[in-house]
Amino acid sequence: MKSKNAAAGGLDRRAFLKAGGATALAAILAPGLAGRAEAAFSGSLDMLAWDFQPDTIKKLVGEWTAKGNPAVNVAVIPNLGFSPALQTRLRGGDAIDLFYNFAYNSQKFVDQGWAAKLNGLPGVDDMVADMYESARPAYVNAAGDIISAPYFSAVHMMHYNDRMLKEAGIAAAPQTLKEIHDASKILKDKKIVENPYVAYWVKEFCEEYLHTYLLNEGITAFDAAGKPVFADDPKTEGVFEWWQTMYQDGLAPKSVLNDDPGKLSNQMAQGDAAFFVLHHYFLSSIRSLNGPESANVMQGPIGGSNHTFQIGEVLQLGQIADEERRNAAWDLMKFYGWKDSAGKFTVFNQWAKAAGLAAPYPGFFTDPDVIAAFPDYFDLPMISKTFETGSKVVPARTLPWYPDFQAKVGDVVHALLLGQATPKKTVEDLTAAANSAQKGRSL
Amino acid sequence: MAASPISSGALTRGDRLFGLKLTAPAGIILAALLLVPTVLTVLYSLHDVPANGRSLGPFVGLENYTIVLGSQVFWRSAWVTFVFSLGFVVFSTLIGLAIALLLNQRFIGRGLARALLIIPWATPWLVIGILWKWFADGSVGGLNAVLLMLGATTEYYDFLADPNSALVITIVAAVWRQASFAGILLLAGLQTLPDDLNEAASLDGAGVFQRFRNITLPWLKPALVTVTVLNVIYAFLQFDVIFAMTQGGPGDATQVLSILIYRQLFGVTQIGLGSALAVILGFVALAGGLLTVKLLYRAERQPA
Repeated sequence: MKSKNAAAGGLDRRAFLKAGGATALAAILAPGLAGRAEAAFSGSLDMLAWDFQPDTIKKLVGEWTAKGNPAVNVAVIPNLGFSPALQTRLRGGDAIDLFYNFAYNSQKFVDQGWAAKLNGLPGVDDMVADMYESARPAYVNAAGDIISAPYFSAVHMMHYNDRMLKEAGIAAAPQTLKEIHDASKILKDKKIVENPYVAYWVKEFCEEYLHTYLLNEGITAFDAAGKPVFADDPKTEGVFEWWQTMYQDGLAPKSVLNDDPGKLSNQMAQGDAAFFVLHHYFLSSIRSLNGPESANVMQGPIGGSNHTFQIGEVLQLGQIADEERRNAAWDLMKFYGWKDSAGKFTVFNQWAKAAGLAAPYPGFFTDPDVIAAFPDYFDLPMISKTFETGSKVVPARTLPWYPDFQAKVGDVVHALLLGQATPKKTVEDLTAAANSAQKGRSL
Repeated sequence: MAASPISSGALTRGDRLFGLKLTAPAGIILAALLLVPTVLTVLYSLHDVPANGRSLGPFVGLENYTIVLGSQVFWRSAWVTFVFSLGFVVFSTLIGLAIALLLNQRFIGRGLARALLIIPWATPWLVIGILWKWFADGSVGGLNAVLLMLGATTEYYDFLADPNSALVITIVAAVWRQASFAGILLLAGLQTLPDDLNEAASLDGAGVFQRFRNITLPWLKPALVTVTVLNVIYAFLQFDVIFAMTQGGPGDATQVLSILIYRQLFGVTQIGLGSALAVILGFVALAGGLLTVKLLYRAERQPA
């Protein structure tokens, strides 16, 4: 009787344990299920990245794996020489599921069969829709194909030493090229700093500065078809006159043709320079050096009423034949280049905290976690506005011939800076470089 | 009685086959590591190879060579390569010879000095480049500190940012390592020179310079030829130290052909053009080596 009552009105031991176990199992699996790759791929993925904070990379990827997703083998190689190394591996037959790349290489990699278009993948249209309109051409080519996802984005900004400007009687940070020149000259003439302006003018980065300075003056470099139209704008020659003058007159130190960004950041931190134009996140480098002038370095927009250059290095999906593997890699790509399955900017939040990197999504700058992650010396509303309306990407950079042009810009610009070419000759040489890149083989 | 094949010295067919078997592995390895890449490079140079390298691409004959030889970039790079090579070979060999002569003398600490000579040679080229880049730095470099201390300059100067001095510094850096290599080889040659030759000459009244010219140099001729030829080849193929220091800059002031090849092959992935450049450089290096041998041996054969 007692036994019968218990069975009818309650749980016996077996039923209790079964119910409890199921509940516990559900509790254990629930978080994992939320981030699990849609496909049940049982192998491991291969990812290739450059050596910026490799421990952070592996930690982030580990977080994705911990949600029940496949293991990821992360290979890290130096940023310097990354593109040649990556191409060598791919040409040698390495199958890499997900890899970092420079934006200007992304179309070429698709054309060569090394990277896959993302069209039609689940959620990819939402990812693109989430972006700033200004950023989309970096990831979507002229034909409408989606060829990459963001690894990080940045805008070229002016870093300036506020104390030095006050000492020189300069009321506001310069924004236009002329203002930069004039302020630099004042600082030099007053012997406040010997070489006021620094920038990363090594050959490989001259192309970024080319676009920055042209955009600062409201010049369009390439039309929609990729034709170089900067030569048609009379202001272009003036940009090159400015650039040459900055170097020849000692407003920028002679060493900027070889210096690395770490040295440039240190020069700002030590008070050996007053202006530094490069990606916005370098303010983190300058501040973290804790030099005598670090705290005096502020950040402001450049371009005046025109624009600055918006760059974004990218993630690309390898050509993966296996559907389950491809789906798993795409899930990782979304996690790394957009949001996690809970809709949080998990990865970008970490990059913001670690180095001030940004993402090309408006929602990124309003996310409370992201806002909390950025050091307080960043003016996020200003950076967000710069992304939204104060900057442009250059759509021609996603054209397949563009890497060849990119590789030549440094030679031409160095000749200009060294006084070996006139501004007019520089315009001609860059035009020729763009045209020859489109035609095919040339040195 | 017929002579035994062994005793007569004649090789039997079996002996020859056995010898062939012994040399086959090395031959196969040599062919695989040297011949195959060479043939592939030549083939690539005759085609417009796609960046992915999955096929040879369309045959273009000598078009890649025409593009290369018609380019000012190439000829500028060739000139830089020539200047670098000339400085590298001359100073490496001369300084190496001086080091060898010094270390062949008896003095306290000679053993230690000889041991220290190995250090530069044992250091990878890339490390040499990195060290010298910092040594020549215009802000914190030791070279500037030394020059200031000696009164040769009055302020720090960025040698690597000046197209007029960057190549000189790269030559000095490369010579710093290669001279020790030359010194080691030449020292080995000197150590085989019988002491009694110099003693006899000295007794006959020959001075230091006469002994050097008439005994030491002729004795070292084979080693000098070897050192010079190797230096010529090293010079034309030098990449690491220059890449680490300047990456071919500023401008194109230090863009030797090897760096130009690297940029074509791996920077812009123009495999056909890069291969044509590599073939040209290979021929130049080979010709340079052969010319060196010919010149030095011709000088040796001249009648007294």
